[in-house]
Amino acid sequence: MKLYESAVKKPVTTALIFIAIVVLGLFSYTKLSVDLYPEIELNMATVMTTYSGASAADIELNLTKRLETSLSTVSDLKKISSNSKDNVSIITIEFEYGTNMDEAVNDIRSVLDFQKNYLPDGAESPVVFKYSTEMMPIMFISARTSQNAQGLYKILEEKVANPLNRIDGVASTSISGAPQREIQILTDPQKMQAYNMADEQIASLVAAGNSNIPAGSIDVGSDTYSVRVNGELKESDQINDIILGSYQGRNIFIKDVAVVKDTLKERATQVVTNGVTGAMIVVQKQSGANVVDIADKINKALPDIKASLPPDVKLEVILDSSEFIKDSISSLTETVVLAGILVMLVVLLFLGRWRATFIIILTIPVSLIAAFIYLMVTGNTLNIISLSSLSIAIGMVVDDAIVVLENITTHIERGSKPKDAAIYATNEVAVAIIASTLTIIAVFFPLTMVTGLAGIMFKQLGWIVTIVISVSAIVALSLTPMLASKLLTKDPKRSKLFNLLYGPIERTLDSLDRGYAYLLTWALRNRALVIISAAMLFIGSLFLLARVGTDFFPASDNAQIGLTIELPVGTRVEHTRKLNTYLYNLWKDKYPEIEIYQSSLGQSDGSNIFMAMRSSGTYLITYTARLTKASKRERDIFEISDEMRKDLAAIPEIYRFEVTPGGSNMGFGSGGTSLEMDVLGYNMKDADTVANQVANIMRKTEGLRDIKLSRENYTPQLQIEFDREKLAMNGLTMTGAATVVRNRINGLITSRFREDGEEYDIVVKNELKYRTEIEDIKNIVIYNSRGKGVRLSEVGDVIEGFAPPSIDHQDRERVIKVTGFVYKRALGDIAADVQKEVDKLSLPPLMDVEVSGSVQEQQESFSDMLTLLLLVVMLVYIVMAAQFESFRDPFIIMFSLPFAFTGVFLALWLTGTSLSLIALIGAVMLVGIVVKNGIVLIDYINLNKERGATVRKSVIKGGKSRLRPVLMTTLTTILGMIPMAMGIGEGSEIWQPMGISIIGGLSISTILTLIVIPTIYTSFHVGDIKRKRRAHAKKHA
Amino acid sequence: MKAIMIIYNQAHSSNVLDALDKCSIRGFTKWEDVQGRGSSKGEPHYSSHAWPSKNMVTMAVVEPEVLPALLAELRKHNEEAEKQGLRAFVWEADSVI
Repeated sequence: MKLYESAVKKPVTTALIFIAIVVLGLFSYTKLSVDLYPEIELNMATVMTTYSGASAADIELNLTKRLETSLSTVSDLKKISSNSKDNVSIITIEFEYGTNMDEAVNDIRSVLDFQKNYLPDGAESPVVFKYSTEMMPIMFISARTSQNAQGLYKILEEKVANPLNRIDGVASTSISGAPQREIQILTDPQKMQAYNMADEQIASLVAAGNSNIPAGSIDVGSDTYSVRVNGELKESDQINDIILGSYQGRNIFIKDVAVVKDTLKERATQVVTNGVTGAMIVVQKQSGANVVDIADKINKALPDIKASLPPDVKLEVILDSSEFIKDSISSLTETVVLAGILVMLVVLLFLGRWRATFIIILTIPVSLIAAFIYLMVTGNTLNIISLSSLSIAIGMVVDDAIVVLENITTHIERGSKPKDAAIYATNEVAVAIIASTLTIIAVFFPLTMVTGLAGIMFKQLGWIVTIVISVSAIVALSLTPMLASKLLTKDPKRSKLFNLLYGPIERTLDSLDRGYAYLLTWALRNRALVIISAAMLFIGSLFLLARVGTDFFPASDNAQIGLTIELPVGTRVEHTRKLNTYLYNLWKDKYPEIEIYQSSLGQSDGSNIFMAMRSSGTYLITYTARLTKASKRERDIFEISDEMRKDLAAIPEIYRFEVTPGGSNMGFGSGGTSLEMDVLGYNMKDADTVANQVANIMRKTEGLRDIKLSRENYTPQLQIEFDREKLAMNGLTMTGAATVVRNRINGLITSRFREDGEEYDIVVKNELKYRTEIEDIKNIVIYNSRGKGVRLSEVGDVIEGFAPPSIDHQDRERVIKVTGFVYKRALGDIAADVQKEVDKLSLPPLMDVEVSGSVQEQQESFSDMLTLLLLVVMLVYIVMAAQFESFRDPFIIMFSLPFAFTGVFLALWLTGTSLSLIALIGAVMLVGIVVKNGIVLIDYINLNKERGATVRKSVIKGGKSRLRPVLMTTLTTILGMIPMAMGIGEGSEIWQPMGISIIGGLSISTILTLIVIPTIYTSFHVGDIKRKRRAHAKKHA
Repeated sequence: MKAIMIIYNQAHSSNVLDALDKCSIRGFTKWEDVQGRGSSKGEPHYSSHAWPSKNMVTMAVVEPEVLPALLAELRKHNEEAEKQGLRAFVWEADSVI
């Protein structure tokens, strides 16, 4: 018994099976967690090796080069780049997308283990980090206080950071901008020298005077007591009274030579939020944990935490990355619902019957809900990709049900009983339905096999559409006939009101049928004219392609702007602070769209990796600006960013700046794209020259902003050069002398002061006023083992110099990266312009300039898409050829494809959208969608012909009778895409080009398919009868 | 005894069975999946792409008295949906085992 027959004969089973699917789907839905994108394992690993004291060039030669050479043997490697700077070598290894990173990191480790023995002695063992989006912080909370500045760190740590850390899924919370308590022993070098003492002595005495010592145990009677000397400092003041030694019979205390301060650390990141200085708490999630879940838990815990704080400490969530996710998902859900309503209206309009509309619409929830089961089983999340896939599928799932229902209705009208009609009518169209479902699957299934970045995005799309469409075909072959057999009646009664409302629509549809028949008759008479003008139209549209720019990913507005401002290196922090205040006051009034300004400046105290990886210094200000929701403002982040660039350019003291719309958030299309040009070559001087030439070209190119070179400027530095002979004469070693210098300037941590279970560093160093000038360094006294003091100036010299820049490598070659942000122009066009100018440069020997970054990825994925397109066209042809059992008819149907592309180009050009990866994928989908119309049309024309009609008559009759189904399925697909094409809601903008290209391609191709395909068909088949006659005559001759 | 052969579009399947029941005819033989086309204007029933409909045949050997009632019943169904197609032929059944 066939599927539809059993379904009709066993309505209870059928109904219950589908109810079970729906219940299971809804259950899965409640279990699904929400995220922005499918889980992406970033394809990068970093190897960091420190080699203290080595310069950038040394590091490059001894560490980076050696490691790079051996690391490049790791399998699946895509790109290897490195940065060698003073003391440290950072190698970044990029793998092909989809590589198992655990295996890759293991491979890296084994290579490093092997190389360890060949590294210089002073170098530390290389450390491997795995990069992934997981490491990105999910929430920033700012804390401000007016009274408790001193104790802020402690308050935050105890009352905020610790409770947050206990929340499931939170990996770490770190506090920055709140300086930590520190006990400083600030020595006066002159007094120290007078007593012939060194800081190191103080350090060891403090350490010795601040410890608990177990003294064994004694037996008293039958009990044993342990003895313990409690030598720990109870208060920081006690340090003052530690005896250093005696001088001329008098005791010398620490207070005689130094000032003891119980204070805050000197250099720390300063965080300013909306003009108020405070602290920032950064929350990072555990890998694999769900952002939205954690953020919800944190938000739930925050009111309690806030209540426990002193009244003047104010907490404010600056960035909650779950908000953007939630907004995007809810706006996409609206899109899906809206698409569903539009589809329903179209069905009602064409059928004019409630019951039939109900049966068809029921396919939508059933097949969409089945997708949730898939998502749960595979452990996926409800994200932008999965929801957009539903939105893409929604217009297509009703198609099969429409075809089935239409045929059942015809049978009932001809007199069958609904039950018989349901079985036999479904039987008639079953093959056609399976074939058209297969064409859609032929398009979407290959998407699951795409590799690279596009693969991550489209894998889920491919699976979901394939599953949803397959389920919809099953529904159309079982649930639809079952419901039709129960609900449809032979002669549905129409109320007067209904006739009044629906009458005009019906008359319009009827006249549309007639009009189309006339048009088709005319076209068949003027076949050459129709075909030639259609061909001209297609060729003409190819010229449009040149006018449509190309992009990698469309940019989207995520309401964030990131800024980095660099003052000249060495600028004092006070000065930087002043500029920061100035900028805040300027922008506060100028951009009311910005809700929260947060800036951090000064040295990083790097307690977490995220903070440590950002460069920091007294001359740097980093900004994060949070704007109001995209829908609530007129200017988008790109416009505001551009205005900000103008403001910054007007301030002469800024050395350079970078404005990043979208901030540092990872994700496709959030924020802007950038163009990267790589200048490759070993000679540093030549490379600098070429890089500057390229930078100049880029500055002149329209649509590029913030041109930046990756090789940093030479930084000023005070270098101390010891004379080895003099050192030896004085009985000093190089290391010993160097350590002394470090201890005087940077300080020396002796031991820790314990209070209430917390530990605070005790630091010994020279008082600030004795370490502000070069002379102070020269005056540092170094004691040798005989206790004789030698001034630094006697054994060495302090030279002002410039440190060599850092050295970058790209695939083991020296490189300078010149980057620029793209503003309001297609990336492809800019790249072409820059490339043209760069080609004109006469490069020094062994120098090369290459396009890299997004442009390269764009080219790669575009060529992937073209391969995919060819594959899809072939698969679709195979499916059609199998259905028609002919090579010729599928070929005729394929003629609707060029016009689909005409429509895509036209729509992109009209809306000023550039051809991005997303638009291209839309074009690939069109292959499956547009041939469906052709299949429906040609199938019926063939049927008429087989029934003995002439070619011309078959074409006209077939066309007329298939006009409504074609228009109906096309309209449902188009209307399903409209909410997407309009880009309603946050985060869904990146799908806009797909919506636009599908709507454009499908409408143009449908209109032309209805005219051109029958015309071409006639031209191909007109000789059929003559041929048959000739063959017949030959046989009988 | 008379033999009656009813050839009809499969959509009439339940109608024919109803008619036999109504006239209290117990015995019959039924063939599913048969092909054919009408002599004058009837559409072909080939279960092919062009002519997807199928025919069925029911044959019964009945007492002559019930024949008129059965034929009337069948005619009624045929007239309700003429396009579907239903024909009945009657002949003498000479010897019955």
